[in-house]
Amino acid sequence: MRTSLHPALTITASLIFAILVAPLFIILGAAVSDTSYLTFPPQGFTLRWFTNIFEISAFRTTAITSLQIAMLGTALALLIGIPAAYALNRFRIRLPSWLANVFVLPILVPEIVLGFSLLKSVTISLGLPVFLVLLLGHALLVLPYAVRVVGASLASFDFSIEEAAISLGCPPLKTFFTVVLPNISAGVIAAFILAFITSMNDVSVSLFLTGPGISTLPIQILAHMEQFFDPTIASVSVLLMVLTVGVMAIVEATLGLTFLTK
Amino acid sequence: MVKRLTPWILVVPASLLVLLLLILPVGATLLATFADAKGWAAPYLAFFNSGFRRTVLWRTVEVSLITTVISVVLGFIAAYVVAQMPGRLKSIMIIAAVFPLLTGVVVRSFAWLILLGKNGIINSALLALGVIAEPISMLYTEGAVIAAMVYLFVPLMILTLSGVLEGIPKDVLEAASSLGAAPFAVFRQVILPLAMPGLIVGAVLVFTGSFTSYATPQLLGGERQMMMGTLLYQRAMVTFDWTGASTVAAIMVVVTIAIVLVMTRLARRLNPLAA
Amino acid sequence: MTVSLTLDSVTAHYGSTQVLKDLSLAVAAGELVSLLGSSGCGKTTTLRLVAGFLEPTSGSIRLGERDLTRLPAHQRNIGLVFQNYALFPHLSVRDNVAFGLKQRGLGAAERLKKADAMLERVGLASFAERMPAALSGGQKQRVALARALVIEPPLLMFDEPLSNLDAKLRVDMRVEIRRLQRANGTTSLYVTHDQEEAFSISDRVAIMNAGRIMQLDRPEVLYQRPANSFVARFVGFENLIPMRVSARDGGAVTAQTDAGATLTLSQDAFGAIPDRFVLAARPDGLAVTRAGEGRPAGIPVTLGIRTYLGRAYQYQCSTPGGDYLGNGPLTEPLEPGSSAILSPVPEQCCILPPED
Repeated sequence: MRTSLHPALTITASLIFAILVAPLFIILGAAVSDTSYLTFPPQGFTLRWFTNIFEISAFRTTAITSLQIAMLGTALALLIGIPAAYALNRFRIRLPSWLANVFVLPILVPEIVLGFSLLKSVTISLGLPVFLVLLLGHALLVLPYAVRVVGASLASFDFSIEEAAISLGCPPLKTFFTVVLPNISAGVIAAFILAFITSMNDVSVSLFLTGPGISTLPIQILAHMEQFFDPTIASVSVLLMVLTVGVMAIVEATLGLTFLTK
Repeated sequence: MVKRLTPWILVVPASLLVLLLLILPVGATLLATFADAKGWAAPYLAFFNSGFRRTVLWRTVEVSLITTVISVVLGFIAAYVVAQMPGRLKSIMIIAAVFPLLTGVVVRSFAWLILLGKNGIINSALLALGVIAEPISMLYTEGAVIAAMVYLFVPLMILTLSGVLEGIPKDVLEAASSLGAAPFAVFRQVILPLAMPGLIVGAVLVFTGSFTSYATPQLLGGERQMMMGTLLYQRAMVTFDWTGASTVAAIMVVVTIAIVLVMTRLARRLNPLAA
Repeated sequence: MTVSLTLDSVTAHYGSTQVLKDLSLAVAAGELVSLLGSSGCGKTTTLRLVAGFLEPTSGSIRLGERDLTRLPAHQRNIGLVFQNYALFPHLSVRDNVAFGLKQRGLGAAERLKKADAMLERVGLASFAERMPAALSGGQKQRVALARALVIEPPLLMFDEPLSNLDAKLRVDMRVEIRRLQRANGTTSLYVTHDQEEAFSISDRVAIMNAGRIMQLDRPEVLYQRPANSFVARFVGFENLIPMRVSARDGGAVTAQTDAGATLTLSQDAFGAIPDRFVLAARPDGLAVTRAGEGRPAGIPVTLGIRTYLGRAYQYQCSTPGGDYLGNGPLTEPLEPGSSAILSPVPEQCCILPPED
């Protein structure tokens, strides 16, 4: 309504936003360039770098691993994170106050330190399977989303509703699923999306936890880039951006994008 | 009896995951640096006696600080404009910030590889304009790492700060101008102090994120611009110097936690609503 | 230095919606005028235009000799008290009060002296070091008042300043506001939706509707002699009966309701009566009596629910032309369902122009 914005501010901000988006279009241009090296603006037009992705089996297998890890890791994090978030809010008086801080640790400890420590102490010392450690590492990485984002929903949940359901004869567990869960669904969806995308994009934890035959897509991209400097990576990046667009569409449809500014 | 234990039963699985896969392994890493055969501080003496590693640490601090300052300034300007925009333009701007944020760090760093590369858009443009005769090498410089890092963190800063700025009640700003405060005075005396706690939290995220990053320095800095993250990887996976890698990890953890603790305390002290 | 505030043919729009229609208003020097109306009537818009947070589409706003119309808000020198107090949460009570003085370039020592003196006046001297979050609603509003007064503005404006306070505090605060405003003789514009508040605090009240001032007058006049049906309804004339004159016989005027009931009104008692008019009356302006021989002429009604008011009985009265509320004496309680006569009490009624 009242725009007392100095034009210089508006112009600077517009430039910032343009620069935020521009590199992603540059990737798109580079992906269709008919050259064997990365260049922008594109020279010629080809889709062969897209078909090339499917000829390199490592991209396919690591993409599948990434999706599996992201789905299972997020599911596991929600499975154990939601009860923890519930307990921390519902039984605030009966649980020690430091307990909530335990679930902040995965954010506080640098990811790369976490990855390295898991390799040293779990993969090597305990000899656990690579896939399992990778999965658990990712579940740990995204656990804070489950606990904190769902916890934020629970913080504004009126627990007297739950008591009302129980007083009407609904058993506690059923009450949780029929009364509590539907009221915190936005938090659960938000936690799922943030956790999934974090897991899909993770480099620093996966870096140390991938092993022979098992790798994630971002790690495979890094490895490919060390050997080749062709537009294949650009086309993989385009596919990943399509995934991002899909995720954003889901966010917009379920929560509205503005929830990300809160 | 069961009822009394319910809260604990609910938190145990998640707590166990953190305990077994984070507290114990990371604790073991940190302890390992004090259990060296050559004496308890030997790994740290080795680290700080090595000119190369000191350079890496200093470079990491420098890159992180510069990244933080630039990200805060750019993020604040963009968020300030976002907060004042009408609905439609605001959503477009938020989309422009969210999209890069949700796109992975590898893809976003890769974009700068194309931008700054020999056949990249900047070289092409400068060649076309006749400013340079042949492509200049911009990759594997500190500037390249900083540019990509700023690109990485500005969206985060925008989203954090636009939430904070929108939380400032409009009538407080109107009160200030009704009392005679010119626009810059309103900014300086009302908006900035009210946004300071959010600003500090955002700056901490950017600094610790830069300080412990791996993919961006790896791609845009390479061997020449090694940073703490890439040094840790190199020590562990190339030279198999586990104690050396653990020392780097320990320094990262200490710096990160120290900064988070000090700065969040400062942010809390500056928070006007905590009476 | 007291000056007058003049709004001359001010029109304002939100987007394409017109929210103020050619509004003119003059507040005399030292006077307190309230803008009273329901939400969306344009009262807050008017205040924001004067404050400089909105720009009028056309018209002009003057404070004394100074033209404010296109002046930026921070150069207008108006003391503003907000509904939500709008205290600076990061500044202490004292610094909140001193904020405006700081903008005026006063030195630290003088700011402190003036702020503390003002806090003394509003009874908050011992709260100077506190942060706003540690104050009660009433205390916050006192700080907001002190902050607006300390800059010694030629004009004070209040935007629903008491609506967030409880009933008891509201009464105390409005006495306080009136006291401080009188003491300084500051010209004031006061926006509220609370009729009692507006009537008790103001020299004059402007009743607004749909971007227009319907009537601007002293509270007594508004209450007893509303100028039109809107204002009449607003101040509690619950019965508005459209009538048409059918015969005039000297001072006696015979008029009919739409449903055909006949009333004979004396021009001596009611004043001049036009051919078409609205008879406006509060319930105590319509006397309910038992129908029958030797009773005064009036509108025949069927009685509905009877309510005991302490000083009278109130009846719901239905007629083919509409329902009315009338009062009857405690000495003669009438039963629901019975027939009765409704007759206007001249000194309690108003003759208004017909509604469009």
